[in-house]
Amino acid sequence: MKPSIPVAAADLAARLRAEIVPELTGFRANNVAMGSAMIDMIAEEFDRAAARLFDENEAVRGLLERGGVAIAAPARPDLRISALEAENDRLRAALIDLQTALETRDDTDARALDADIWRELARSVERRRIASANF
Amino acid sequence: MKALTEADMTAYLAARFPDWRDVRIEGLHRLPLGASRETYRFDLGYSDGEGAHSDRLILRRDPPVSNVDSDRNHEYSAYRAIHGHGIPVPRMILLEEDPGPMGGAISIAEDLRGYHNSEYQLQEPAWQDKLPHIAGQMWGAMGRLAAVPVEALDLDFMVPATPESTAMQELDFWEATLDKNDVGPEPITRAAIRWLRRNPPPPAQKLAMVHGDFRAGNFLYDDDGNLIAVLDWEMAHRGDPLEDLAWSLARVFSFGKDDRRSGIAPREDAIRIWEAASGLTADPAALHWWELLNCVKGQGIWNSCAHAWTTTSGEREVIHAYAAWWLRNAQDRAILELMGHL
Repeated sequence: MKPSIPVAAADLAARLRAEIVPELTGFRANNVAMGSAMIDMIAEEFDRAAARLFDENEAVRGLLERGGVAIAAPARPDLRISALEAENDRLRAALIDLQTALETRDDTDARALDADIWRELARSVERRRIASANF
Repeated sequence: MKALTEADMTAYLAARFPDWRDVRIEGLHRLPLGASRETYRFDLGYSDGEGAHSDRLILRRDPPVSNVDSDRNHEYSAYRAIHGHGIPVPRMILLEEDPGPMGGAISIAEDLRGYHNSEYQLQEPAWQDKLPHIAGQMWGAMGRLAAVPVEALDLDFMVPATPESTAMQELDFWEATLDKNDVGPEPITRAAIRWLRRNPPPPAQKLAMVHGDFRAGNFLYDDDGNLIAVLDWEMAHRGDPLEDLAWSLARVFSFGKDDRRSGIAPREDAIRIWEAASGLTADPAALHWWELLNCVKGQGIWNSCAHAWTTTSGEREVIHAYAAWWLRNAQDRAILELMGHL
């Protein structure tokens, strides 16, 4: 779409904040202010969501394979966000089971894989980070 | 959900208080406070045998779906329990648990008007010089709450707890909340829960009435930064007073987007003020456990927001979707920091 969705959405959010919120009070002003902040988050997420989910799914699938858990990639990649998120949920659920099992072991391989899982989880929160977040 | 109207309010109060005459409700409007309950402000006028009366009041109403598992009776009783014990709170006036008349259970309290509660206002330049004083007020009040002898309070409406049981009781509650409001796998939060179970804290130094959501945004302050009243007691419970301190230190409430906790003071200052006011010690390991527990609690609340927004059959609350979008990843990030993986 032209103009680009992130740019148009960010502009819309700024207009809501500058032109509409001051015309309202109390609960309604707060709702519109939150709505504008959500549009900012949509703008931020729109361009990166598919890429970050694709990257994360690949990374988690690799960690699971190292742990002996095989979750096959779809034969024909479906790059819609809803499909990538569904795949992400399947992979992250399996990752919880794997990490739980690793925590019961006390060997070098288990500790190394657990450390790599934590590194990937840290990367995942950086990928998902929202600019307006407090932390 | 049934809209709250001045006509319905007038009819309800006239029926509830048959001795009142000329009951008038004016200026009823919803306030932008909180994600879990509806809050309204209004003026009440009436006459009785003692003459004419005019009151400024706050009404809280339970919604059909909330992100916090509480109810009107619990918060109303919590305010009444702590009132008069050195922690300033608004006076509770009326509880109506029957959802019929007003479209949901309601409580009515005095409205302490003319004060501030915004956590974001405190980030404006005009307030920066007042922040050390506000820190003393906030963590001082929190410390005094921790020091109140729990035996002196009427807390029969709360779940029993002991210094030995409270930690795992809270962890069980918030894990169950996450299970009940599942919005997808949470590897970071689930890892935190497993760590908390493997590394239990020592018993609480004492049992206290824990506010449960004591942070900037949940107290009224005046133009000089004096704390006027502590609000939002719906999650109050018996527990370890370190829980309140830990909640106030949460990264997700660093409204200045820096190291100041609650956007008000550095962590060390907050702990020092709390220790001086409470007479208790914030053991670093125990405090760390409660900070991580509060991350699980936070994620439970933010996921409940997402779940409430997704599952409600009625009117959705914008704040439920907003809070979930804004806070869930920040909460994960806070867990990583506390567990040494950031």
